[in-house]
Amino acid sequence: MPETLLDVEHLSHVFRLSKHAHIRAVDDVSFQLHRGEILGLVGESGSGKSTVARCLMNIYQPTAGVIRYQGVNILDRREFARNRKMLETRRQIIFQDSASSLNQRMKVADIIAEPMHIHHIKPPRGSLREEAAYQLKYVGMDASYLDQYPSELSGGQRQRVAIARALSMEPELLVADEPIASLDVSIQAQIVNLFKHCNQEHGFSILFIAHDLAMVEFLCHRVGVMYRGRMVELAPTAELFGDPRHAYTKALLSAIPYPDPVIQKNRPRVDFEELEFDREGAFTEVTPGHFVLQEDRR
Amino acid sequence: MMKQNLLLYWGKKALVFLVSVMVLSVAVFYISRLAPGDPLMSYYGERTEKMSVEEKEAAREKLGLNDPIHVQYVRWLQNALKGDFGISYKYKQDVTEVIGSRIGNTLILGGIGFVLTFLGALGLGILCAWHEDKWPDQLLCKGGTLLSCIPEFWLSLVMILVFSVTLQWLPSSGAYDVGHKHDILNRAEHLILPLTVVVLEHLWYYAYMIRNKLLEETRADYVLLGKAKGLSKKKILLGHCLRNSLPSYISLMAISVPHVLGGTYIVEKVFSYPGIGTLSFESAQYHDYNLLMVLCMLTGIVVILGNLIGGIINERIDPRIKAAEVTETSEVTWD
Amino acid sequence: MEEILNIKNLSVNIHAPGGTVHAVRDVSFELYPGEVLAIVGESGCGKSMLCKAIMKLLPKSAKVEGGQIFANGVDITHYSQKDMEKLRGKLFSYVFQDPMTALNPTIPIGKQIGEAVLVHEPKLPKAQVYERVIELMELVGIQRPRERYHLYPYNFSGGMRQRSVMAIALASNPRILLADEPTTALDVTIQAQILDLLKKIQVQLGTATILVSHDLGVVASAADRVAIMYAGKIVEIGTAEEVYYDPRHPYTWGLMQSLPALNKGNAELKTIPGMPPTLVEPPVGDAFACRNQYALEIDYHQQPPMFRISDTHYAATWLLDPRAPKITPPIGGKRNA
Repeated sequence: MPETLLDVEHLSHVFRLSKHAHIRAVDDVSFQLHRGEILGLVGESGSGKSTVARCLMNIYQPTAGVIRYQGVNILDRREFARNRKMLETRRQIIFQDSASSLNQRMKVADIIAEPMHIHHIKPPRGSLREEAAYQLKYVGMDASYLDQYPSELSGGQRQRVAIARALSMEPELLVADEPIASLDVSIQAQIVNLFKHCNQEHGFSILFIAHDLAMVEFLCHRVGVMYRGRMVELAPTAELFGDPRHAYTKALLSAIPYPDPVIQKNRPRVDFEELEFDREGAFTEVTPGHFVLQEDRR
Repeated sequence: MMKQNLLLYWGKKALVFLVSVMVLSVAVFYISRLAPGDPLMSYYGERTEKMSVEEKEAAREKLGLNDPIHVQYVRWLQNALKGDFGISYKYKQDVTEVIGSRIGNTLILGGIGFVLTFLGALGLGILCAWHEDKWPDQLLCKGGTLLSCIPEFWLSLVMILVFSVTLQWLPSSGAYDVGHKHDILNRAEHLILPLTVVVLEHLWYYAYMIRNKLLEETRADYVLLGKAKGLSKKKILLGHCLRNSLPSYISLMAISVPHVLGGTYIVEKVFSYPGIGTLSFESAQYHDYNLLMVLCMLTGIVVILGNLIGGIINERIDPRIKAAEVTETSEVTWD
Repeated sequence: MEEILNIKNLSVNIHAPGGTVHAVRDVSFELYPGEVLAIVGESGCGKSMLCKAIMKLLPKSAKVEGGQIFANGVDITHYSQKDMEKLRGKLFSYVFQDPMTALNPTIPIGKQIGEAVLVHEPKLPKAQVYERVIELMELVGIQRPRERYHLYPYNFSGGMRQRSVMAIALASNPRILLADEPTTALDVTIQAQILDLLKKIQVQLGTATILVSHDLGVVASAADRVAIMYAGKIVEIGTAEEVYYDPRHPYTWGLMQSLPALNKGNAELKTIPGMPPTLVEPPVGDAFACRNQYALEIDYHQQPPMFRISDTHYAATWLLDPRAPKITPPIGGKRNA
């Protein structure tokens, strides 16, 4: 049994829109992330997948639930404070829009070295600059980019810099929130390969949030499907794509356009009506490792 | 929105208004009394110089000028709440009467000036946006900037010099000639020059605002869709862009009432136009406390109201602001 | 069949402070009635500019600087904006990428569709306009149209807004629909619905469609013919079957190979090394040469012409020259299944 790195239990997060309206962005979500695994989280916009990521990173304080990182309850203020440095270095997040998540007025070298500077970590390779150069090389860019500004880079290169910055802390967990959504197809492939490399060669555990199911299928070991704040299905990738159980998962999979004109034009599509959705069901393990949100048949 | 909330909303606005007015009255009251000079001068005029020290003291006592300022303020407030704003030292008349005889003139000048500015700026703004970066736009942009750099009093003086002194086409001062109080034509003749200055000074600023707002709107995606569906430039600019720009323009204009008003005061002074502006100037010059107080309050209230109304229009008129909260399908629960 | 749109050697330049961007370079193609032609390419390849140039909706800084556009056999290259107003909506319509900003936020949906109806029939009585709007809303799959007629765009979800934009585009029965990344901003399930709608409209109304997309999956589900664009040029064009099952241009190979669906079981996705060139000073030879593992010496000096593979299939690569060495394509030649 692989070690559980991250344990999420009954996580819920409610946003108050006004005095009289609230939105259940995340609703009773439970899952585990094992060490060395890439877990995909898919769902449409507004399904709550980014909110989950932010809760995991202590950006939002969820309304209910428990999140344990290596046994540490990160939602407990005191426990968080005690393990602060470990939590802030071992967990790193990468956002979709690297154009706005990188400081436009900082050079690439400073962007990559900033976390080390903040956490007073002695750079293992001598100076901060050498460390930045090393990380940059790791993500496939040479040292000539060190003195450039983010605006001089392409979208794919900026995303590489964001990854290099995250890697500089030698994290165990990378949370990647739609990291390839705004990139071109051929560049997406490069970044996905980079994630795969990080995982295979260095054992990083990755929570990979995306809406491109084809990429998720290629990259992830297990996949969780979210809909309207609930996790509706969670299973190993091959099983989820081969034998989807929840009606929404079936609809979602049938909607992925397959790049082959004959197959695609003759493929049946399953529709999912919003009204069919029973959000009060129980998240049940139907076969080992395959969880499905089942209708409450009380 | 529910009734209770509506009440709360207006209650808040009213409270803001009342507190602002109170603060304003205290400030004006203190500052006017701290200014150097002798209020007796305005009441007794030349005679003050001939009065003995005792007589002066008695006069001060009579006018209540010897009490500490806060006592004077409370007394003024008590009377004011009863509707008694005291008498003007200079005119020896009820303050309300003095103002009543002048306010009409200012309302005519300021009101017409404001409406002309509002409409003129709208027209010019549309004209410029229509011909973006072509010569009419360039000309108006550059000429307008130049024009709004000219101080009001100087422009007024030049106007008087040209149209009254040299050409002798128009009168240079007053609201009407003696004996023509009810002669509309005569009044209109007197209005032309001050009105021109008021409008010319402010027109450009607002025209520029509406031009930029319109051009900003024309960059929006829906304009491209409008073009794609075959709408004419006129329909897009007037039916879509102007419609979307008007709310913010109207609220801007509401906020700018005092701005235009301030300009009117200076113009009134230069043209010796018998309005609130000249009166305010005199009352400050002669330490006519009661008159000054009411004039300042009046102006202040207009300013505060203008800002409040501008804000309210801004909040209400644009459906996007009301709407921001919910789209049709979002998972929202109302309790 | 007589073509409805004929683009001949079209070039579009954008005059930016940093220099002139040659966004569309010498592009030619035809569009036939009732067909769906997909234009595929990465961002910045000029596919959007191409569509905007056809409808003369280019931003101020961009200009058509060469080539001709024939619509129904008429040369409209030098039409003024006034002339174009008569064609827009009637001959061709546009569907934009982002339905969230394409609608005027302060005008109810029904009225915005009604406006489009009135453009080419200004004298239509109010009641008939209303009925036509309801009919259009039904056509694009907006349920309960009478209730929704008075709603504002912000009351609508992304998919509903895109349906509204399509209703606007279809208001005057256009012969050509230009759909510029119409599903990119939408969720997968909504994307599938909008693609179904596009197909339904094409069958029902016989509208010819130019579908611009970067997604080979989306294109596979809708296109009859496919044009691949790279660095402002069309590098390959053919029927969907030809391009998907028998691609000839190395760039098309690269695009197909990088798709995860075709990489099942591989340790890594195949990628195209490097990045597209900037189009301020386009390369002298083949713009793809420096990313192309099959590049020949001539690719660096001279642009390849369009080589004919079949009556419908053309590709611009020197590999198709009879003198070129024979290369077995890394992909295609069979149906991927």
